[in-house]
Amino acid sequence: MSRSGMLKGLTAVLMTAGIVLAFTYAPTATRPNFSTGAMDPWPEFRIFFFHVPSAWVATLAFLVAMVASIRFLMARDRRHDDVALASSELGFLFCALALVSGMIWARHEWGAFWNWDPRQNSVLILLLIYAGYFALRSAVPEPGRRARLAAVYSIVAFLTVPFLVFIVPRIMESLHPSPIIKSGREGGVMDPKMRQVFFLLMAAFTGLYIWMLSIRTRMERAIRGVGSI
Amino acid sequence: MSGTAVILTAILVIWFGVLGYLVTLDRKVSRMNGKGDPR
Repeated sequence: MSRSGMLKGLTAVLMTAGIVLAFTYAPTATRPNFSTGAMDPWPEFRIFFFHVPSAWVATLAFLVAMVASIRFLMARDRRHDDVALASSELGFLFCALALVSGMIWARHEWGAFWNWDPRQNSVLILLLIYAGYFALRSAVPEPGRRARLAAVYSIVAFLTVPFLVFIVPRIMESLHPSPIIKSGREGGVMDPKMRQVFFLLMAAFTGLYIWMLSIRTRMERAIRGVGSI
Repeated sequence: MSGTAVILTAILVIWFGVLGYLVTLDRKVSRMNGKGDPR
């Protein structure tokens, strides 16, 4: 079996196993009920297993798009532009998934889908910045100029990612839960079974991203090949 | 059927739908690029 075939098979197995284990093997989280003093089950916590890997893949995809854009500007090879476009699209998709899963969580935990929380606002701004990337691409008809302008935009757009994803939510008051993967005073400790399922799904989402990136990049090349006939 | 079982089933149905779509699209793109089975 080829390496790409192994990646696809592994992604399918890891994702299926991760979904099943998130609901069967990972224990239900609990949280204190301050009126009774008891620990209440917290099944909504399971959305975390899908929300965080989506956010991770979005950040990875935007990083890959920026690297591909730099390589395009250096080599002027359209294959790098194909990768940048494909990765930006996937980053947008997974960022939207993270936002929607976060909104479902927010509806349950904070009482409304949208709370103008700094984390929600910063992710929405990030989505709008990358929507601008697609608008720019569709506005420039000449392929070479379009690829150059899009590459510059992609590099500048990624500069906002660390600020919007990591800095803004930490310097402003947010309802968003603190990191819980590491043990520590701030975030608490994640159950070992939860941690296993979490990293399994992180690997599955990363494999899914690589597979989708490969499909979308090859598709762009095929479309360009047809267009040049 | 409990609420958890319903959500698990729904997520699995969505995932297998996505998986089937990706496998089909992958084959189609391979054929477009002149690779893969020529069905």
